[in-house]
Amino acid sequence: MSSYMPRALHKTALILFPAFDWCIRPDHPEREERLLYTRDQLIEEGLEDVENILFFNPELATFHDINRVHLCVPSAEKLLTESHLISAGGTLRAARAVMEKEADKAFAIVRPPGHHAMQTVFGDRGFCVINIEAIMVEYIRHHYGIRKIAIIDTDCHHGDGTQDIFYNDPDTLFISMHQDGRTLYPGSGFLHETGGPAAEGYTVNIPLPPNTCDAGFDMVMERVVMPILDEFEPELIINSAGQDNHYTDPITNMNFTAQGYARLNRLLDPDICVLEGGYSIEGALPYTNLGIILAMAGMDFSQVREPDYDPNRFVQPPEMTRYIEALCAKALRVFAGRGSRKHEAQQRRIVTNQKNIFYDTTGFHVQEKTSYHLCPECPGYSEINASGNNRHLHAYTVPFNACPRCQGEAKDMFTKSKPEAGKINVLQDRLEDIYETK
Amino acid sequence: MIIGVDVGGTHADGVLLDGDILVAKHKVSVDQRHLTEVIITLLQQLMPGDRCKLQRIHLSSTLCTNAIVTGALEPVGMLLQAGPGMNPDFFARSCPTWFLDGAIDHRGQILRDPDPGKIDAAAVAMRREGINSIGIVTKFSHRNNRHELQVAEQLAGRFAHVSLGHRISGLPNFPRRVYSTWLNSALAPQFSLFKNALEQGLRHLGITCPCHVLKADGGTIPFSRASQFPCESVHSGPSASVMGCLALAAQQDDAILLDIGGTTTDIALLVDGAPLLEPYGVNVADRPTLIRALKTISIGLGGDSKVAWHNGTFAIGPERQGTSMAEGGVSPTPTDAMVVLGKLSVGSPQKAAMAMLALCPKEAPEYTATLLLESFVEHIRLAVETMIEEVFSRPVYTVAALLHRRRIQPKRIIAIGGPAAALQSFLAEAMFLPCTVPANYEVANAIGAARARLTVQASLYADTGDGRLSIPELSCLETISDRYTMLDAENRLKAAVSLLVAEMGMKSCPEIDFLERLELNVVRGFAASGKILNLKAQIRPGLTTI
Repeated sequence: MSSYMPRALHKTALILFPAFDWCIRPDHPEREERLLYTRDQLIEEGLEDVENILFFNPELATFHDINRVHLCVPSAEKLLTESHLISAGGTLRAARAVMEKEADKAFAIVRPPGHHAMQTVFGDRGFCVINIEAIMVEYIRHHYGIRKIAIIDTDCHHGDGTQDIFYNDPDTLFISMHQDGRTLYPGSGFLHETGGPAAEGYTVNIPLPPNTCDAGFDMVMERVVMPILDEFEPELIINSAGQDNHYTDPITNMNFTAQGYARLNRLLDPDICVLEGGYSIEGALPYTNLGIILAMAGMDFSQVREPDYDPNRFVQPPEMTRYIEALCAKALRVFAGRGSRKHEAQQRRIVTNQKNIFYDTTGFHVQEKTSYHLCPECPGYSEINASGNNRHLHAYTVPFNACPRCQGEAKDMFTKSKPEAGKINVLQDRLEDIYETK
Repeated sequence: MIIGVDVGGTHADGVLLDGDILVAKHKVSVDQRHLTEVIITLLQQLMPGDRCKLQRIHLSSTLCTNAIVTGALEPVGMLLQAGPGMNPDFFARSCPTWFLDGAIDHRGQILRDPDPGKIDAAAVAMRREGINSIGIVTKFSHRNNRHELQVAEQLAGRFAHVSLGHRISGLPNFPRRVYSTWLNSALAPQFSLFKNALEQGLRHLGITCPCHVLKADGGTIPFSRASQFPCESVHSGPSASVMGCLALAAQQDDAILLDIGGTTTDIALLVDGAPLLEPYGVNVADRPTLIRALKTISIGLGGDSKVAWHNGTFAIGPERQGTSMAEGGVSPTPTDAMVVLGKLSVGSPQKAAMAMLALCPKEAPEYTATLLLESFVEHIRLAVETMIEEVFSRPVYTVAALLHRRRIQPKRIIAIGGPAAALQSFLAEAMFLPCTVPANYEVANAIGAARARLTVQASLYADTGDGRLSIPELSCLETISDRYTMLDAENRLKAAVSLLVAEMGMKSCPEIDFLERLELNVVRGFAASGKILNLKAQIRPGLTTI
């Protein structure tokens, strides 16, 4: 390496894959042009020649990697294109880079994003079909035996898909800070959504008011995210790094800056970042992505500023600061009260949740009923019934941290379930890494 | 007829070619302080009886490499506009640097103009430090050269040598553009002295034909252009060797080229018969640049490398201690093994056998020699494998490119250099490939220089939304209509390349390849507002057909 080039303090792997030949629709925010200016900025900066910054191509995720997490209807093979497998494969490459110590940290700058994709997948929602972080998390658990993982979702939209997938898992801490669901898609992510019966308190939502500035995000990081992480002691921290909190984003209403994003990542110090949303493709993404990379790599980001950046432009009104202060206190109480309902839930043996999931891209609803079969030894297994778009799913999911008894019970239930026309029966056993349908 | 001259570290070779027929060859030893004399001596020896038959002289010289190694580079001051991004302080490690304000963004839009007062102040400071050569580079100048030109205009006439970033390369990568521009300005005075001395020598010899210099990309440019862009003449040795291999053993398939010397082995790759290029450029004086170059790697492994036996394996090179023991040296070398096996006849076979016994006293010398040469080619095999993997791993940005990546699959080895013939069977066996050692390989570099043809590259960036087109290599910034298409872009770039070729005195333009076509819709507020078109064109390195 050249002594005339800067050196990154942390060896950082970048999986930069703009997929210039893929879009949802030519005029959709998720279109070919989205990462063009980011690519141009990163290449012009000369990051490829910075010592300890490595560029990797994504690999293709396999359908097996997808089925470890999702219940795809009618099937992963029918729903996904190569672009989805590459986007997910980008996160797997990032994981492998970190887990096999090719790098200290990794950032998958890939598209399409994934954090609105729930465990059951009937189609595209919120630009996402499959949840690329969740696929990465279960891949890491399966291949590298990591248990406790924290996902910090810093996208402006609530990471409802990721929340859904890990809702009943006390080994996955999910914190999402986002624009209040009363004012933005997907309309969820409130304080009272705190986790399933076996993982109460391990989902922490921080719905921020529109126009939150750097000061508000700093406060959430310092008062909520960092203290909770200190207590949870994860083996791995993942940033679900959407960049649509930026003040120039066309589909959101926040006032976050590239400096703010860089500072957040310096403080969070994530092992892996995965790009999520962010649709101010010209005025924000080239700068926010660069800021995040430099922060991860331990390099100076003080000169990463948007062309129209003015530190005095966005000053948070005092009443908003007070509101966020109160919000932080409530969010802390969510985590502090973790596990408080567990005993009560276990008495009931089976706890059932119902929800209606809207697939906005094509426009249909799915009715879903999840029954958590609880266990004193483990988080238990779940039984899912979902119907929509003229299709039916009946599935049993055994989580990676289930006990053998729950695993056996789910297997028995699946064996006893009767095949019916128009219905897909699934056994998803993460313990044995099996995905079976009938 | 063409004369090709390759000046190396210790000796210089020259050949006279009539078409592809070798008419004469000559070798002289080199005094690096008197390069012009060396070249003139060679030319005198090679001159055909009928001077009029000489069409061109092609020269690959170590002038720039020497200037770099001996520190004879001109002091340069750099004027940089770094805009938002990485902290640019590291540039000052290379040479005195002044930073300008203002900025251009990734689409080539001017965000703010630089302050003329700051430019003036920098110029005054540079003069005070006795700087006479300067480089001017702005971030994204390949998209918009306005600021570089503006600064140059303001400083016109105040410095002897001014190099502008966008003229050196149309590729992205600001640090590489900065270092290429620095190198260009640092070499300018030396190169112009060399050019004057050589032209004088040529006049003495009565030579009037054009003189071209070899570049790192395996192509040539006329002397006149090289004196404007002397940075292009660096690193021509490896490219002479590659083009020489091509000339001596033409290929249509993927192949491995090896130039095995006394201290090092250079490796290059052919893809479908064409030499593979670096994605950006070669590293020069420890700095990454945008100087287009063939992809070659050099490993510290040669016939005279020092060999030791450690824990059951041979440690070969990278250091060298004089010659082989067969030739009177003090440590065992691969050359000794070649002598023991009867593959090479130099020096004393007895001393060579002693060398093998010194490595493994309990084994028969033939056995040790065989093991040693197997280990030697194994090192080469591993280096080739790593190189192929690295090329395969180059970043791609489209689904189609990712799914259709092709790994290089060599069908043949072409080896040149002193130990090549002795290693032929070992190489073939280790890599399961036929291995060719072409005749006349000892003058391969000079033949490569002679047979290389003009290469040119240019890039085009058009933004129909902004109505602007940039071809940096020509300093061209034009207005275009919102209906501009990829076909228009191709025609425009073809015209640009043809113009460059004509400027270099060539009558006909070889085939132009278009690379990295990228066409993206620009959508603002859910409506198409234009297109971004990106395109590169090149005349790829190849052999002249006379």
